[in-house]
This record gives sequence, C-alpha cells and structure tokens, in this order.
Amino acid sequence: MTSQIVQCVLQEAGKNQAKKVLEVYLVIGKLTFLGLEQVRFAYETLVKGTVVEGSKLHIEERDGVVKCPNCGYEGDFQYKDDPVYHFLTPTLHCPRCGGLVEIVGGKECLIKSIKLVV
Amino acid sequence: MSFVTDVVKAEEGEIFDVELETDILEANRRLATENRELLRRYGVKAIDVMGAVGSGKTSLIEKMAQALKKKYRIAAFKGDLTTTVDAELIGRHGVKVVAITTGKECHLDANLVRRALQKIDLGSIDLLFIENVGNLICPAEFPLGSEKRVVVISVTEGPYMVVKHPFIFMEADAAVINKVDLAQAMGVDVKNLEKDVKAINPKVRVAMTNCRTGEGITEVIEALGL
Repeated sequence: MTSQIVQCVLQEAGKNQAKKVLEVYLVIGKLTFLGLEQVRFAYETLVKGTVVEGSKLHIEERDGVVKCPNCGYEGDFQYKDDPVYHFLTPTLHCPRCGGLVEIVGGKECLIKSIKLVV
Repeated sequence: MSFVTDVVKAEEGEIFDVELETDILEANRRLATENRELLRRYGVKAIDVMGAVGSGKTSLIEKMAQALKKKYRIAAFKGDLTTTVDAELIGRHGVKVVAITTGKECHLDANLVRRALQKIDLGSIDLLFIENVGNLICPAEFPLGSEKRVVVISVTEGPYMVVKHPFIFMEADAAVINKVDLAQAMGVDVKNLEKDVKAINPKVRVAMTNCRTGEGITEVIEALGL
C-alpha cells in the first residue's frame, strides 16, 4: 500500500517537474488494516534516492463512521462488550434503534495533498 | 490514477501545493465494480471465498463444485502466494481453473481478478468460485467484484477467531464454520461462534460443515442463493 502511495506521489511530482517534494499529507481511516508506524517506516525506506526523500509525512487518522438507514443515526459503532474477551468488538447494529447500519467512513487511504518545489 | 483539482503554473523555485484527494483503495473498488458489471453482462454468478489459512476453503469449493456441476457450468480462480497445488485439487472435478499466484501479496485484488477473467470464456460458464488467499484481515479491504462473499473459519482455530476479525464478517454475506466433527476435541462451542458472527453482522447466513464428508454443504449452497 505504501509503495502505491509513493508511486502516486512520484507520478504527481513528475507531472509538475518538481525538484523536491517537501510535504505529503495522508488521511488513513481507522478501519483500514494499515499500521501507521509501518506506513511511516515503509515510506522512509521507499523514498530513498527519489525527489520525495526528506519530505515530511503527515498522517491524519479518521474514525470509523456508520450510518443507519432506518433512524438516521450517524456516528461510532455499537460495540459488543464481553468481559471474557477483554476487548470491545465493533458490530453493525445501530446503537440507537438496533437496525443494520452501513459503514460510511474510516475506510479511506487518501493522499490529500503534497507540497513541492519546482 | 489521480485528478488534480488545483494547479497553478509556478515559477522556478516556487513552492506550491497540489490537491490530490486520491484514494488508493478507491481505485480497487472501481475495478471491482467493473468486474461485477462484466460478470453480470455474461450472467455469471461469482462467489468470493475468503477465510483463515487451512480453514477448508478449497475443500468447500471442491464439495460445492461436485454438488452443483449438473446445475451450473463452473469455473474457479485459485489465489495463492505460490504453487498450484490447490488449483489442481479443484481442477480434478472437471472444473476449469485459473491459478492466480500473487507472489507476496496476501490477498487477491480486483486487478488480478480482471486479468484472470480475460483467461476464460465467460460465455461458457455461469458460476465462478474465486478462492482468496488464506487471510482474515486484508481481503476485507479489497472487494473483487463478486456477487457474494463467504468467510470460512474452522473449529481448529479456536473459539475467538470471529471476534478477533470483525471487519471481514461485516463484509460477508455468508459464513461457514467448518470441521464441526472436531468441535468436541477442540473444546469449541460452534453455537457461540455462530452467535459471535450474528452479533457483528446480523445479516450473515451461517452454515456448519464438515467439508471432508460433505455434511452441511446443502446449507452453504442455500445460504449463497445457488
């Protein structure tokens, strides 16, 4: 995934004939399987020797958001809490009416913008 | 793929921002939609079979192929990092198989499926099983364009496999709990696993199977609307 991100940034830098990319702004949803530390590490490795090397990587995390077509609720999941498991499991039940919700946010892997020098 | 919304022609040495708004995962979703439209055009039902490593995905497809080969003309895609062992297993039931070796990727994506779709005569089949790589995490992010998605787990993975992987069950239309003959030996209550699935996603249809004997295959076929 990080490789694809870097490819995309390099493509854009090439299009603008940039000498250097200064900053890259990413938005990564909490529901993606991406670990931010791993993305940072992979990013630093992958940009070596390119115009993106040395750029500052900003990552904004987005929360998971569900929407209920039944009652209009929009917000966090309802979680199933079981003391046996010691963790909360997200579910697709609406916290307000119990209906089936849709996931409408938190799945992004977005390159929002980049700052470059020509 | 990107669309630049704001570019100003700059002087040399000038710093400027490029607004991209490019979602890497969106690109796969778009390709998946194209795959789905292509399959619909040819009247082919595609089933994405996901599941844990060693849970019984290949065995499930073998048993379903045997049960359905009089009703449907069947083909299968088999995703794996390497080897065509599983692809051969499915192929011996007289089903056309395309093996997709991903190399290092731990999941299939819509692009690989699109390429595999070019290798078969879509006019000659009406049912396509796509066996994903054994993985309960990444496939959830990468729709392939199938009509239905089924997740396979087995009792030998223990009692917590469902709650540990909520997002893949949120994407599923059906879930299969396999190797039920070993439940007692494993001390796993299959009813609890079913409850866990329904708690996460109430619309998932759950079936219990023993894919070695074929027990429960009829229920899976029904759950998938086949």
